[in-house]
Amino acid sequence: MYELLKDIFGNDIIAYIIGAALPLFVFILPFALFAVYLERKISAFMQDRLGPMRTGPYGLLQTIADILKLIQKEDITASETDKKFFNLAPYLVFAGSYAAFAAIPFSGMYIGSNVDVGIFFIVAISSLVVAGLLMAGWASNNKYSLLGAMRSAAQIISYEIPTVLIILTIVMVTGTLSLEKISQMQTAYFWNWMIFGGAGWGLTKFLLFPFMVVAFIIFYISSLAEVNRTPFDIPEAESELVAGYHTEYSGMKFAMFFLSEYANMFAVSAIAVTLFLGGYQSPFGYLGNTLGISWLIPIEQLFWFTSKGIFFVTIQMWLRWTLPRLRVDQLMAVCWKYLIPYAFVNLIIVGIITLL
Amino acid sequence: MKQYFKNTWEGLYTVFVGMIITFKHLFVPSVTIQYPSVKVPLPERVRNRLYVNMDDCIGCDQCARACPVNCITIETVKSLPEEDLGKTSNGKKKALWVTKFDIDIAKCCYCQLCVFPCPTECIYMTDVYEFAEFERNNLIFNFATLTADEAEEKIINYEKMMAEKEAQKAAAAKAKAEAAAKTKKEDNSTEKNNGKEKDSE
Amino acid sequence: MSIYDVIFYLFAILTIGSGYLVVTSKNIVHSAFYLLFTLFGVAGLYVLLAADFIAIVQLMVYVGGILILLLFGVMLTNKVTDVKIRTGTIHIIPAVIGTGLLMGVIVSMMLRTNWKSEPGELPFTTTYGLGRILLTDYVLVFELLAMLLLIALIGAASIARRDNE
Ligand code: SF4
Ligand code: SF4
Repeated sequence: MYELLKDIFGNDIIAYIIGAALPLFVFILPFALFAVYLERKISAFMQDRLGPMRTGPYGLLQTIADILKLIQKEDITASETDKKFFNLAPYLVFAGSYAAFAAIPFSGMYIGSNVDVGIFFIVAISSLVVAGLLMAGWASNNKYSLLGAMRSAAQIISYEIPTVLIILTIVMVTGTLSLEKISQMQTAYFWNWMIFGGAGWGLTKFLLFPFMVVAFIIFYISSLAEVNRTPFDIPEAESELVAGYHTEYSGMKFAMFFLSEYANMFAVSAIAVTLFLGGYQSPFGYLGNTLGISWLIPIEQLFWFTSKGIFFVTIQMWLRWTLPRLRVDQLMAVCWKYLIPYAFVNLIIVGIITLL
Repeated sequence: MKQYFKNTWEGLYTVFVGMIITFKHLFVPSVTIQYPSVKVPLPERVRNRLYVNMDDCIGCDQCARACPVNCITIETVKSLPEEDLGKTSNGKKKALWVTKFDIDIAKCCYCQLCVFPCPTECIYMTDVYEFAEFERNNLIFNFATLTADEAEEKIINYEKMMAEKEAQKAAAAKAKAEAAAKTKKEDNSTEKNNGKEKDSE
Repeated sequence: MSIYDVIFYLFAILTIGSGYLVVTSKNIVHSAFYLLFTLFGVAGLYVLLAADFIAIVQLMVYVGGILILLLFGVMLTNKVTDVKIRTGTIHIIPAVIGTGLLMGVIVSMMLRTNWKSEPGELPFTTTYGLGRILLTDYVLVFELLAMLLLIALIGAASIARRDNE
């Protein structure tokens, strides 16, 4: 990818900058536009409504109109806020969630940074988001914001434990932290996916299968909590905290939070897909291979990756419009009393199986 | 321990049940009515914007007096005796020029109390409910059919008539005073007065 | 100047600048937030030194763990946020002596160390080697640290519990 860009522009730095900005403009922005529309439509259909219908055919241009509105809006900074950090926080949050995209393998061709510690990097960089949220909450000088930020930080940190335990499970089976390698291990057909016990037809595959399903469920639940989606959206619980940490934000800064929320939604789905469901690998082999057109394969991979990712984003939305919000104590109980013990036991069992 | 596993199972199972329910609702036809393009049929006796059929209004001011919020303003002028204002549809004779008939719909509470007292049933509720305006003043509806000029004319006429009547009265009084002296002269003067009036019309 | 240098200087400026702000800012919460950038900058420098695993551990432990705990502590004790920290110089002479000594030690260390300056082959990844060393040569230390952390964890839990009753 970088070689290609370097050839086109003839300069490292420009190539790197463009390569780094690529996912934002090519993927995240359109995805956020689409996802907001999708979310509104799904919620509407689940409640027997129609959702946006007026702007464009079937309301397709609604989110574009929303974005235009957000851009035009006055950027209010309340007088008692801590201006410096108040203005910095949304960018920090967005940087944190955007940085995760650097290590996500979109296809065999495009992976922002093929670091060997990919998954570990994603887990670590998301802590920047926590710091950003705390900054936003504190700098707003508003008790709802602060409460929201506190809850958010506590929640993300707690749910990081089951997430990391499950990631550890996968790392134990695959023996690598690199998302690229994990994707390659699950190549070609869907029975090679990690959720079905990984590649190969040994005894371990059949032994692993149930535990991988458990791991996947735990991972999905805790990743839901990490991105503050309902039923784990107490940080921005509208009924109690107005909007949580972004209560005081308006205009573009609010859009930053919004964008990072949707970027995060895709990021966690993408990680779930990469770890358990073959990443960018096609479930039924590649058309490019059968036809002998090699340039088709990366495009197919991109297609499979995004469609799997969007599928899980859709499930997140489905869950959001199904379940009520958890109370704070229930939230912590789910994490510490259920997810973590299960994840631990799962980890040990998977460890024993891989030793066989 | 048994409780623990039961809780886990119930947690997952109930989520699953809920998801099935919401999934089914994805395919339930929506109940939304797309308002400006599709409208719900209104019930028969809806109370919305008032309308006054001025052809039938006799200017009796009863509706204005019935209104609890005083949003109807009526001004009337008596017609001249020679003027024929026609009859209302239920056969009442009209005797007043209605120079002003304003209803401030912004104040109206749609109580319909003004409708019942009307002797000619000319003020009634319509089914128009989309009459939003940007200016509050635009919500004052003028029903009077006379133009401003006409109304002024009627007022002037009336005043003239009244003035003449006064004059007449004064003249009559004078005449009465003089009647003791001379009776024949008086008759002549009245005839002359009448002639003048006709000219002015 | 290659892109490597540009990034190095960016991170160096970030680290030093925010480090300076940590020490000089009057508000303790501000200090804590500036510390975020210092720690982040250090992680960036680790990356440039081809120590990717260490860099990410730095991010995870310091930014994700310690800093957040620090912020929690500062924010939840509302009296602390109001305290104005004195950042002026108070005891100049002892301070000069202390920092001078420290400086001397560091400089002498720098001069005495036998720096390997030949451009060796940078390993693409350090994770594998680190894991190997941790579980062979340093396994005792590793396990002892794990025990220590476990004890701390149990201790914290039991303290929190006693309060509840
Ligand atoms: S409906 Fe009621 S408020 Fe409206 S004009 Fe008639 S009497 Fe007045
Ligand atoms: S009650 Fe009827 S007739 Fe009388 S003034 Fe009102 S609208 Fe006219």
